[in-house]
Amino acid sequence: MSVEIPKTLEDFPNSSPRFVGRGVDRVEDPHLVTGRTEFIDNVVLPGMLHAAILRSPVAHARITGIDVSEAEKLPGVFAIVTGEDAKRWSFPPPTAPEEWGTHCMATDKVRYVGEPVAAVAAVDRYVAEDAIELIAVDYEPLEVVADPAKAMEPGSPLVIEEKGTNVMLQRVFNWGEVDEAFRDADRVFTEKFRWNRLGANPLETFGVIAQWDPVAGSLTLRASVQSATHFGLGRAAVFGLPSNKVRVIGHPHGGSFGGKGGTRGTDVTALLTRKAGGRPVKWIEDRAEYLTGGGSQSWDRHYEVSLAVKDDGRVTGLDVKLLDDMGATGECFGAINTVKPLAAFTGPYTIPVARYDLTIVATNKLPQSPYRGMGPPPHFCALEQMMDIAARDLEIDPAEMRRKNFIPKDAFPYTIASGNEYDSGDYEAVLDGALELSDYPELRERQARARAEGRCVGIGVVSAIEPGVFDWNAYAIVGVQGIGVPEGATVSIDILGKISIRVGFALEGQGQYTLATQLVADYFNVGFEDITVVPLDTFSAPPAFGPGGSRLGVALTGAVLGACEKLRAKLVRVAAGLFQMDPEQVDLVDGNLVAKGVPGVEMSMPQVVGTMLARSDLLPPDIDPRPEATYVWTAAGRTEADEEGRAKSYLTAAQAVHVVMVEVDPETGLVEILEYCVVDDCGTRLNPATVEGQTEGSIAQGIGAALLEEYVYDDQGQILTSSYMDYLLPTINEVPATKKGIVVTPSPFTPLGAKGCGEGAMHTTPAAILSAINDALVPLGARATEVPASPNRLWNLIRGAKERTAGE
Amino acid sequence: MTTQKKAISLSVNGISYEASIEPRMTLADLLRGELVLTGTHVGCEHGVCGACTVLLDGRAVRACLMLAVQADGASLTTVEGLETDGELHPIQQAFIEEHGLQCGFCTPGFLLTVHELLENSPDPSDDEVRDALGGQICRCTGYQAILRSVRLAATRLRDAQAAASSQGS
Amino acid sequence: MKPARFEYAAPDSLAEAISLLEQHADDDVKILAGGQSLVPLLNMRMARPEFLIDLNRIAELQYIREEAGWLAIGAMTRKRAVEESELVRQRQPALLAATQLVGHPQIRNRGTVGGSMAHADPAAEYPALALLLGVELRVAGPGGERRIPAADFFHGYLATALEPTDVLTEVRIPVLDPGTGWSFLEVARRHGDFAMGGAGATVRLDASGKLSEVRIALFGVGAAALRLHDVERELVGEQPGEALFQDAGARASQGLEDPLSDVHASAEYRRNLARVLTVRVLEEAVGRAGGAGGREEGSR
Repeated sequence: MSVEIPKTLEDFPNSSPRFVGRGVDRVEDPHLVTGRTEFIDNVVLPGMLHAAILRSPVAHARITGIDVSEAEKLPGVFAIVTGEDAKRWSFPPPTAPEEWGTHCMATDKVRYVGEPVAAVAAVDRYVAEDAIELIAVDYEPLEVVADPAKAMEPGSPLVIEEKGTNVMLQRVFNWGEVDEAFRDADRVFTEKFRWNRLGANPLETFGVIAQWDPVAGSLTLRASVQSATHFGLGRAAVFGLPSNKVRVIGHPHGGSFGGKGGTRGTDVTALLTRKAGGRPVKWIEDRAEYLTGGGSQSWDRHYEVSLAVKDDGRVTGLDVKLLDDMGATGECFGAINTVKPLAAFTGPYTIPVARYDLTIVATNKLPQSPYRGMGPPPHFCALEQMMDIAARDLEIDPAEMRRKNFIPKDAFPYTIASGNEYDSGDYEAVLDGALELSDYPELRERQARARAEGRCVGIGVVSAIEPGVFDWNAYAIVGVQGIGVPEGATVSIDILGKISIRVGFALEGQGQYTLATQLVADYFNVGFEDITVVPLDTFSAPPAFGPGGSRLGVALTGAVLGACEKLRAKLVRVAAGLFQMDPEQVDLVDGNLVAKGVPGVEMSMPQVVGTMLARSDLLPPDIDPRPEATYVWTAAGRTEADEEGRAKSYLTAAQAVHVVMVEVDPETGLVEILEYCVVDDCGTRLNPATVEGQTEGSIAQGIGAALLEEYVYDDQGQILTSSYMDYLLPTINEVPATKKGIVVTPSPFTPLGAKGCGEGAMHTTPAAILSAINDALVPLGARATEVPASPNRLWNLIRGAKERTAGE
Repeated sequence: MTTQKKAISLSVNGISYEASIEPRMTLADLLRGELVLTGTHVGCEHGVCGACTVLLDGRAVRACLMLAVQADGASLTTVEGLETDGELHPIQQAFIEEHGLQCGFCTPGFLLTVHELLENSPDPSDDEVRDALGGQICRCTGYQAILRSVRLAATRLRDAQAAASSQGS
Repeated sequence: MKPARFEYAAPDSLAEAISLLEQHADDDVKILAGGQSLVPLLNMRMARPEFLIDLNRIAELQYIREEAGWLAIGAMTRKRAVEESELVRQRQPALLAATQLVGHPQIRNRGTVGGSMAHADPAAEYPALALLLGVELRVAGPGGERRIPAADFFHGYLATALEPTDVLTEVRIPVLDPGTGWSFLEVARRHGDFAMGGAGATVRLDASGKLSEVRIALFGVGAAALRLHDVERELVGEQPGEALFQDAGARASQGLEDPLSDVHASAEYRRNLARVLTVRVLEEAVGRAGGAGGREEGSR
């Protein structure tokens, strides 16, 4: 059904909108600040048991025996499951690439430290943890492969033996005459980069309550899931159940950032409830489980990047070789992370040709999960360093280097070499804004003064794209089945004129219920107090995907406004019948149904709704008598990938420029951020306060990536960062105040012109900080190519450079 | 091996509770599980994230790093104790107005830590605020909005104090 | 992450605590002080005592008082109380500085002075401070009470002179003599983290401006905190200055045996920190003592 969704606020049937575009207080917050929000661990069901999972202490070993007899004897233990139960009742999960999955508990061998081996449901978590200690597992050690390059060598131990190789995917994408571009270049620059494993780390770990109904053969899952529908489909596949036998009740969750994880733990918990005869079983992942066995780890990358450049600074070709260490399986769709860069491969630049030589390898480490940005942030970190390397060699200011290569504002919509289409932008305006906001010339003067004092101060000026509003078509090339990415909303009005908005996703933190409320309040000219947002489970919600891929703000706007439009059309027809006029003569104006040009002939919404509900017999036969409407929005115009993977994938392309000044202490390698300025353009800002919050939060995560966060494994696949003493999240002391500016070029493709902005600064911040560090290191002759740029790493580089200088 | 349960009594948010618990139970689990005060959230259970921070006799402490038996006789404040019948505490109100939260999971710990800070230092410098909040992790906001929230809360509380004392004189 | 089972007692007096320790001499007993290090280990089941003796109800172990040139601090005194003590601020600023480097306020609200000493974590501030300042530790056991100088108290990685039936009761810290310059610095990944390396120094100058007394301690770089006696000796009698400090730093670095290596810092990096921090604490301490080559407070 075609519905005309408002393109601007002027298209609303309201002469004085009060909410959209303003930084209004969030409707989510009163419950959150009073501790009343129903996070999953708050939920207690009658008869509920508590699960604990026994996990592998070794990275690669054959299981030669499991003895659960002692655990069974412990009072309070109700059920124990092992790989035998997993084989009996479940299948390996859907993966990307396909068929790189294993059962939720090890059936023959363990493949990474933290892999579930057995699990217990007991009267409480304390007893459950006592019980798993009583389970005896015999491990026969196997040779470990923890290095992706070694994993590719012939004779390497195989993580999944049946596959016959550890190479999950190897493919070269060629977009244009790349060799020719490099042949014709005036200068070619090549550098290697290392991006170490890091991950989402929401403050709330994953949690689930599973309840098996042995009579109906159905499963109910209450869980802190980001995308309930998608999660439910995956579980149906794992348990061989019809999709309408798995009900998912999404709960508010304490952050996700893509890395909430939880699929394996959920599947183990589902086995436990089945084994316990259908008693509900709760599993709350603890932090050690999250760090070693959860959705915590992403992006373990080895890059080699080449840039073809003309003497005038124009970049004419990009060649990226990536080896990504995916960990033991493809179960968390980590491979998607490696192909999302296709949506913005050449960043904000007009680089006409490019090549992507992509290899994904399995090792004895935790499988990778999604994380904020889903893959492009490391890509941009490498690309932006290359831009700096070229600029430095050409003696061009880094800001001007970007300007020279920006896609000009009159070139939109612009199709990049890797096939995606950018909707709109004015990149020079964003750059100019950032240079002005940061007082860039003054920063350079400060830098010069600092250098004269022997201090190590540097400035980074970088730009990146945030692809927004994803579609599965982007991922078909790594074998992800396209199942659609719909977002639905139902808007209904009751007999007193109060409005409910029913949606299919749980509260996550981006303020989406507030956005829905803003839209409906302005559309129908009512107040926030007249509206309630109702999240529904997968059996009753309109089709929905939920947050992910910087999409929900745009998609929800489309869904809610589509539903509003449909509801308006319905009310207009009913009112027209009551006025005995044609529908064309009636309109919704400021919340009332009015006869155009006939003063005094009007009805309030409750009057119309009341009539509908009291006398549905009088309604025209083709009018559904419910005073509500549902609309399901999808991104229009997405295309299938061609033979080189090119597709219109992401609907929007937000852009940002960050200007950062840092000081490196050359004696310790410690980095201090002295200035941080960001100007970005994510189109129309529907709630500027929540957009700003996304930006600020994403900068903090980017600082973590650039300086602090890293999962470290030894060569035996042992994880050395299994607590928050060693995996370092940024605190208030590591995150500086930022100066922020905005540019707004509305998207021509989205409702109200908003662009995806939830992943945001993560695309830019790591690159910006590394650029600033490298600018600081220039006088010392050192260059950092690895993140996090830890004190030890930077000190190593500085010392190495000194030794080289001394040796000359 | 079985352990004897210990009977304890404590006051939480001005209400007296009694419980019989194993010595190994953490204070966080007592609050959440036994007393059903689930506003205290658990984020790491090893004392780093600060989500479970509560006030023990007015001082901010990690509820995951105390045994419940240690709270015998103590007076605690949890996030549930900040609001009265829907009337938000000025710190809570400030966090809403300055968007000092996103997912809200860490927020109760922040609110109580800020409460202790502003009791002791009604007009803190940004450095003082950073020092006080350095042990509370928020993964969503990047802390800037939290800093703004604390400034607003401090101003409001000082204004209220000034108004109260000028009325009293 | 839930503790394994244990028995628990919370005595009200020191005598009762010692008697409990004697009764359970054959059990695996742990003393619970502030709990900020022990409870995480309990939660992770890395510590699994059979019996836990909680000292938190012993009021007689919580005090800060001045006794003829010493600050006497009850072992169960919270670090936050130290931080807020006017006496500490006036009499021993190095103690205040070291205390503020420990964790975060929420940790210091529970963590105790005695707990940090008894735990003897190599990266902790207090054991290094104890060595630096010549702290005395009062210990009570079944055989009565004894005083142990810090130099004899710390026995290496997480090890002390405490016997299983001992209770650390008091930490006695000399007050800072007027004219003594001091410094206490550390390098950590984040503010409040355990240090990758830390150092403290106290210096005194004679009338001609030469170093008459020097003490330097390092922490976080090896298996335990340590005093740099050799380096100190070389400095006494010398005119302070940048070259001298650099020389001392180089000696501190070279003399370091088996530096720690972990995910945050390699042994080589820690060796470097030993040098850098030795230089910096000397600069700052000499600056505070009003000597040549010193650095203004807070200029780092």
